[in-house]
Amino acid sequence: MKISRKWLQQLVDLTDISDEDIAYRLTMLGIEVESYENLSGKYDGFVVGAVLEVEKHPNADKLSLCKVDIGREVKSIICGAPNVAAGQKVPVGLVGAIVPHNQHDPEGKPFELTRAKIRGIESEGMICSESELGLGEDKSRIMVFEADAATGTPLAPYLGLDDTVFDISLTPNRPDCLSHAGIARELSAAFSRKLAPRRIRFREEGAPVGESAKVEVSAPDLCPRYSARVIRGIKVGPSPKWLKESVERIGMRSINNVVDATNYVMMELGQPLHAFDLKLVAGHKVIVRRPQSEETKFTTLDGKERNISPDMLMICDKEKIVAIAGVMGGMNSEINDETTDVLIESANFSASSVRKTSKELGLSTEASYRFERGVDPNLTVHALDRVAEIICDTAGGTLAPGIIDVAVGKFLPRRIELHVDHVNRLLGTRLASGEIKRVLESIEIPCGKKSETVLTCAVPTFRGDIERDVDLIEEVGRVYGYENIADSFQTKLSFDTRFQEEGAIYDLREFLAGAGFNEIVTNSLQPADLAGLHESAYVTLANPISEDMAAMRTSLLPGALQSVGLNLSHGLKDMKLFEIGRVYRVTDDQQTVGTFLESDRISIVLSGTADPMSYDRKEAKFDIFDLKAEVERLLRYLNLDSWDFISYDTAKEYEQSLKLFVNGMELGLAGRVSEMTLKKFSVEQDVFFAELDLSKLLALRRRTRRFKGLPKFPFASFDLSFIVEDKTPVAKLIDSLRSAAGEMFRDISVFDIYSGEGIPAGKKSAAFSVALGSEERTLNDNDIAGFIEKAEKKLSEEFSAELRKQKIV
Amino acid sequence: MLDEIQKLKEEATASLTGLRTQEDTENFRLQFLSRKGSVAQLFEKLRDVPKEDKPAIGKSLNELRTFLESEFESAQKKIAGEKRADTGSIDLSIPGRKRYIGRRHPLTKTAEEIKRIFTCIGFGIADGPEIEDDYHNFEALNFPPDHPARDMQDTFFVKADAGKYVLRTHTSGVQIRVMENNKPPVRVIMPGRVYRNEAISARSYCLFHQVEGLYVDKNVSLAELKGTVAYFAKEFFNAEAKLRFRPSFFPFTEPSAEVDVNCFLCGGKGCRICKYSGWLEIMGCGMVDPNVFKYVRYDPNEVSGYAFGMGIERLALLRYGIDDIRLFFENDLRFLNQF
Repeated sequence: MKISRKWLQQLVDLTDISDEDIAYRLTMLGIEVESYENLSGKYDGFVVGAVLEVEKHPNADKLSLCKVDIGREVKSIICGAPNVAAGQKVPVGLVGAIVPHNQHDPEGKPFELTRAKIRGIESEGMICSESELGLGEDKSRIMVFEADAATGTPLAPYLGLDDTVFDISLTPNRPDCLSHAGIARELSAAFSRKLAPRRIRFREEGAPVGESAKVEVSAPDLCPRYSARVIRGIKVGPSPKWLKESVERIGMRSINNVVDATNYVMMELGQPLHAFDLKLVAGHKVIVRRPQSEETKFTTLDGKERNISPDMLMICDKEKIVAIAGVMGGMNSEINDETTDVLIESANFSASSVRKTSKELGLSTEASYRFERGVDPNLTVHALDRVAEIICDTAGGTLAPGIIDVAVGKFLPRRIELHVDHVNRLLGTRLASGEIKRVLESIEIPCGKKSETVLTCAVPTFRGDIERDVDLIEEVGRVYGYENIADSFQTKLSFDTRFQEEGAIYDLREFLAGAGFNEIVTNSLQPADLAGLHESAYVTLANPISEDMAAMRTSLLPGALQSVGLNLSHGLKDMKLFEIGRVYRVTDDQQTVGTFLESDRISIVLSGTADPMSYDRKEAKFDIFDLKAEVERLLRYLNLDSWDFISYDTAKEYEQSLKLFVNGMELGLAGRVSEMTLKKFSVEQDVFFAELDLSKLLALRRRTRRFKGLPKFPFASFDLSFIVEDKTPVAKLIDSLRSAAGEMFRDISVFDIYSGEGIPAGKKSAAFSVALGSEERTLNDNDIAGFIEKAEKKLSEEFSAELRKQKIV
Repeated sequence: MLDEIQKLKEEATASLTGLRTQEDTENFRLQFLSRKGSVAQLFEKLRDVPKEDKPAIGKSLNELRTFLESEFESAQKKIAGEKRADTGSIDLSIPGRKRYIGRRHPLTKTAEEIKRIFTCIGFGIADGPEIEDDYHNFEALNFPPDHPARDMQDTFFVKADAGKYVLRTHTSGVQIRVMENNKPPVRVIMPGRVYRNEAISARSYCLFHQVEGLYVDKNVSLAELKGTVAYFAKEFFNAEAKLRFRPSFFPFTEPSAEVDVNCFLCGGKGCRICKYSGWLEIMGCGMVDPNVFKYVRYDPNEVSGYAFGMGIERLALLRYGIDDIRLFFENDLRFLNQF
């Protein structure tokens, strides 16, 4: 909302207070000033000039040499406009002035005027067009002022721009500040300046208003008050300069003297008003009611046809709808050039009704904005008087005596008791009762003393947001000043651990970062086809920003591939990434919010060259075993020592894929992302991706492992290799060897898988390093020979394996 | 027999001079000195030698073995030594093998820092659902239906159940859940992801992360809130951080305030980042509204409380001087590798 300082000045005396102070104090009162602009600064170096002589430029047909009086002196100025003539009063920019709009620049960037020679003759300034000054569209002609403009006057005051405009952002609880009067009230409290007394002058003549028009409110639940006045014999026309400038200053369009007057009063007092052409109101009767069933369409004065629904409140005459209450008037009763008699509506409508209507129509106006936040019901009559004064002044006409005023009752101040100790307890202050009373009365909340410690406050109707003592406490804090409340910090430590402990996740992040993974954070909103990649029961949004973000992810895969794709497009081909994030789906589980299940996942992404990249080793790309290695490393870090990767025939998004099980519980998937899936993300290199359920993983982790004494006897390590069928899974051989070792088992790893020369066709050789140990003694050759014999027999039985080589170190 | 010994000695000596590699020495060992090597074979033959010759032949065999073993040992050492000496010719200026460097995401780092600061002064950590019902996201936080306050947050609605569920617009719903499930006092922070239906630009994204705090106990006051926030700002920004509390409005707090910190980029003189105001907005806060206590069955006459909430992206943008919020979600390695 824009607020004009000049306008405020009529309501409260702000003499000697700087713009900066006003902005600061308003902000500290909770009325945030986003910016302010001193308009007079805009036309520094521009004055009103009087053109004395005009001659042709000797070297250019289209240019004129002008002598222009700027008050102190006469300047020679070259002008290219065809309409320049002696005797005109014109805007003159002098050397050093910044011209706001360059007509010859495609972007219209401002430029500084310099002393310049044009075709051999020097020009000491510039006569400007509307367009150059940013005041209008006309760029072909110079601007010409009224003949009585005083020569030499700086341009800003001449244009009424000796003003500052504050741009204010208001919270929804302060509709009372949606006007100059409301802001003036706050400033009067902030600077202890009295509000200017307002006297409204108008003359009523002729037959009482009741003879010209009638009002019937048949929906008082949605319209607690409807007041109206009638003015006859007006002449609709352009607004006078002061009115036009005032409404344009705060960003409204000037329309005519009647509409501008209603807007002016709304911006001054906060009461939305509407003017009807009385002759177009059938039967001269206004009926406030809900629409009838056949009334489904209505054309508002912006020319758009609107769908009407039964809960909306309408302003009607005897035959038809003439306006949508509190939102917008209709074409059929609009003020036009022929209008002579007007009925001015000044009403109070239910906030929630106007809000619903405005939402449903998708139509928000200055009026609806105010009504849905709450307008003072005691403002209607005052606003009518004020608008009558202005219309009679600017459009003539005769004001019918009296006001039509239909109301559900009287609107009285709300009485609230305020306990002094409650104020101090909540604010952490030690304010005396008299201090609290002084603070509240400065914002027009009169307080009586019920007792030494209790005040009775009468909250005026314009502060509908104050309903309870705590709301008054906020007012005390706000006006007293938060900056005047001393900080207190007496933390009481609470050592209970009722709430989730996050250390484990922090630890995982550190571990993965240490293992060379960059952490990523990706969008949980995805297009439906990607959200549905893993899971058909995905959650969709009713009002997405776009189809690209219409559903919620069921996997971290899409976000990961988007990140891989983005980096590839920048030529970054090697990456190790991880993400800890949430996925969402629809479920039948009753233990959730609605039917939605959210679970946290951890993902691992490998793509490009395997670690390390080196000058002397053959470049290796990441493969599925690197992925398994990373997952296994993570499991080991969490002190898990057994797990199973089960190969399974895959969903469409993977080519090589494994399911991970720990203690029989499925933890997640790992695999090479299928080409089909990669294509969707324009990724043209292999991506290996694993995604595990984080809560399961953390639940399974072994937290407090007890210390085990260090082995007293050295391990015996040796190598074994077997020849088996190609298709025999190595993991099974490992399991068998493990079980053959029994108690003595300490460690096993694969160091070679080979097929080819020396190995029969259809077979492979698998070589293992085995470590055995005992708690009681150092193992001897016989122990090892015994194990090898046992292993050979077992593997031969189970896999027809043949012992190929053994080597004892 | 003595001839054979002499012959073997010559043969072995010649062989020794030709040893170059570890493999050569192993072969030498196998040929001459192993259990089945030539020397061992001669010892075998000793059995067949006439008794009277045995001492002399045995002596020279032993001499041969000792000689070869010591010669072999020094040859071995020499070869090993030569190998070590080789390293001198390697170009040590070749860079080391390149390994991946991992880093935590700047948002995570910022969130962890905020959590650390608050857990240090006794706050617990709570979590809640991102798909939230209207009751917890709005109603119990004192946003009446059809109230303009709901316009302060552009909301995503879930398609199923016709607008009954939303993507939470703030983590404040967790406040309600914590109070529903715990008796006062409660002292907890609530980090998490929240959503706003806003056009994506350098300044706003469709989602961001918040940390909210809640403290409810006997006699919790605005002064205590100010003190706690001041402690946080000094820890998070720097010890010289200056704050100002501006009155504001949130439906679930009364009184309410926005907190600004003096712009540390320009020292308060005014710059592009602080929009020439000298102040940076960092959080909203206030005293828990009695209506909220009614929803969770706390007695507002018994307890009072404060709540605050801040945007992690906002703090990270300020802290690192990042000018585009979208960078957080693109995961460009050139960005991630800077933190």
